[in-house]
Amino acid sequence: MSEMMRKLSDNILDKISMDFLRNQVLKNAYGNDDTVIAALDPRILLAWYVFFALVPWFLNDLPFLIGCFLLVAVTTLMARVAGLVLFLFVVGVFSQTGYLFAASLLFGGDTGTIAPLLVLTLKIATVSLASITVFSGLDPDRLSNGLMWFGCPERLSFSISYAYRMLPMLMEEFQNVLLSYRLRGNAPDASGFRGKIKYLIYQIQIIIQSFYPLMLNTAKRSRTTVEALEIKGYRYAAVNKTVKKMKLRSLKVTYNDMLFAALSVLWLSVTVLISSLI
Amino acid sequence: MNVIEIKNLTFSYPGAAQPTLKNVSLEIEKGDFIAVVGNNGCGKSTLCKVMNGLIPHFISGEFEGTVTAGGLNTLQADIGTLARKVGYVYQDFENQIVRPTVLDDASYACMNYAMEDYRERGESALQQCGLQGRENDYIWQLSGGQTHLLALAGAVSLSPDVLILDEPIAQLDPGHADRIYETLRELNEVWGKTIIVIEHHTEYIADYCRHVLLLKDGSVQWMLPVGEALERVEELRACNIFPPQVTMAAYQMKEEGILSLSGRLPVTVEEGRTAFRDLQYRRQSGTEKKDERQKTRETAASCREVTVSYRSVKGEPRRIFDKFNLELYRGEKIALIGSNGAGKSTLMKMLTGLIKPSEGRVYLEGEDIAGKKPEHLSGTVSLVYQNPEDMFIKDSIEADIAYAMKVRGVQDWKERTAALLERFRLTDLKDRDGRLLSGGQMRRASLAIGIALNPGILLLDEPTANLDIATRREIMDTLREIRRTTETVMIATHDMQLVCEWADRIVVLYQGRVLADGSRDEIFGNREVVETVGIRPPEIFTMGRALDADACCYTVDEFVREFGGV
Repeated sequence: MSEMMRKLSDNILDKISMDFLRNQVLKNAYGNDDTVIAALDPRILLAWYVFFALVPWFLNDLPFLIGCFLLVAVTTLMARVAGLVLFLFVVGVFSQTGYLFAASLLFGGDTGTIAPLLVLTLKIATVSLASITVFSGLDPDRLSNGLMWFGCPERLSFSISYAYRMLPMLMEEFQNVLLSYRLRGNAPDASGFRGKIKYLIYQIQIIIQSFYPLMLNTAKRSRTTVEALEIKGYRYAAVNKTVKKMKLRSLKVTYNDMLFAALSVLWLSVTVLISSLI
Repeated sequence: MNVIEIKNLTFSYPGAAQPTLKNVSLEIEKGDFIAVVGNNGCGKSTLCKVMNGLIPHFISGEFEGTVTAGGLNTLQADIGTLARKVGYVYQDFENQIVRPTVLDDASYACMNYAMEDYRERGESALQQCGLQGRENDYIWQLSGGQTHLLALAGAVSLSPDVLILDEPIAQLDPGHADRIYETLRELNEVWGKTIIVIEHHTEYIADYCRHVLLLKDGSVQWMLPVGEALERVEELRACNIFPPQVTMAAYQMKEEGILSLSGRLPVTVEEGRTAFRDLQYRRQSGTEKKDERQKTRETAASCREVTVSYRSVKGEPRRIFDKFNLELYRGEKIALIGSNGAGKSTLMKMLTGLIKPSEGRVYLEGEDIAGKKPEHLSGTVSLVYQNPEDMFIKDSIEADIAYAMKVRGVQDWKERTAALLERFRLTDLKDRDGRLLSGGQMRRASLAIGIALNPGILLLDEPTANLDIATRREIMDTLREIRRTTETVMIATHDMQLVCEWADRIVVLYQGRVLADGSRDEIFGNREVVETVGIRPPEIFTMGRALDADACCYTVDEFVREFGGV
């Protein structure tokens, strides 16, 4: 137990350092722009996502669900998602159903609950992996263009791509502020079990406190950005239909998109076929 | 033809007691290259924002008089139309870049103004600014200089007649600064753009600009050709502007009667060659003695066979240091120089325990720091970041300075905080948030925070970057004072004047290794090192070398003494 606690308290700032987190986030955002998934048309991918985010909830056919799961698992691999995201996914899915299983045991259930729980797990996993494929595999800028095509307001799509531009700068600044706290703060003694807990709490505290200077710095920075946006005609473009059309002209459905859609449909038909044969 | 005409302009910000610009009248010819100079707060930025219509369209205030830009009255035209006449690059240029990739940002304005050929315009702007080949890069992959060029390309893409740049090179190392000005010269000469820069670096003004406009307390003092303008040494000094070192030297020699000049004072090294040609170099100080005690000195910090790599976003980790060795001795004042990315910041972070090397050992005061947390080292070593804003974690600078002492339970933290505030002349500002201070005040506050725990080793990352020259002098004084009170100090910097006047040992980093290590004569005298790393010695040193191949003078006073022969 204390071994685990030691790992945990070390992990937050030392082993899984901010540097590691930053790297993982950046990897996820910018490191996979050359995958097959990233090159797909965002509109096709969004439509594809809507299917996998909704349909599994309404069906209970096991072969079909397994088929869906395998497909999104393959696309997730193709999108080359960062390790941390996958790790969070695994923890999230299994803690959810694991806890349900424990609850059912506690209230007089038996191992018979495993089967329906597995079906639920499969559904959650499918939907989550589909989200990861689309939102992590697709470059946010293309994603925001796709959303705009479906009629989302221009302001939302601008925010997404602006966040995408600012992310590395903010992460670096956050890291620096956090380092300021570390260098000047006085960490509690981390020996013994209680010490570990205290150290862990201390670390979480300074992470939270670091957001305050970060926000002030960002506010200061935004003065120039607002003026620059004005000069660059942002307000003008927001009300101009031609500009929107020009932006969306870059979206093109290619051979790859058709192939991707066709393969997905084909695979699902096969699973439906199998399920009707059994 | 005049591209900008201002008549009887008076402007005050809302709530201000005094107008920021007073009765300004001004005509700027098409194709000119003008430097706007003046004291802090004399209205330089305000004047420039008047020209592109941000004032009064976006920033309101009391506006009187007329401003015409490219034939348009700025009161009648809207900002979009004016942006196609006058482009603007901010001092904090990275905040004016809003798109994630290079070409995207360069063509963003053109797209917003519904120009069908926005991509082509973006591409040609990138080409004009020397960024071809980087179209699909992400913003964060660019260096500081390239980011500035991109901000410039964003303005150029609308093909304006006039380009205004607010302190274009304040944040850049000399190599990048040269590149920016070369680009501006090309835009001026080849593409016929009128360039207006707000600039403190008079050496660059002398090399590149044609006219100088002096603003004082919101009114135009004069606008003169560069040579005549920079010659007015006293007038410029009164406004906290420092003429080029060559001009200063000539002025001083003329005053002292050493040099009899018929024409005007030289403003560039080239002109200096003629003006000073009759002077004889006589070495006065003798060769600098190498410090003999070095061998017996105690080590303050050392890196032995250290290897550090960074995780990269794509592909293999990037190796910064490979079996790196360096010893810092007690009481030394070290300058760490080298181009961006040579490993200066990494070295500093490693010495504070923030970055752990994957191989090798780091010792501080004889102790291996491998198992230690940075919190426990901060009494021994302290780091002041390049960006002081990241050091302000409390809501007043008093609380910021006190923080480290308070949480460590230092007995007399109250008195010591008060003493530090006094020493750095911050007592009147102690309740203000650090972020809202001026550049120099912010820097002083960050230095006070850095030495609060009275560390034996102090590491400073670019303490004079991003400051105007007057403020820089002020910080240099503060650094000279720290030199006396803190035992071992290491400064990472691009500022060669600071290096020459302040350091007694210079370490040159190049691609993660120590390329050279020694006194200033050894470093600046070594042509190979200077050329490999792209060091730009102070102008007066270059001037001395141009006159005599053995000359080593680092300050104007040394030059006057050694060439004046008095």
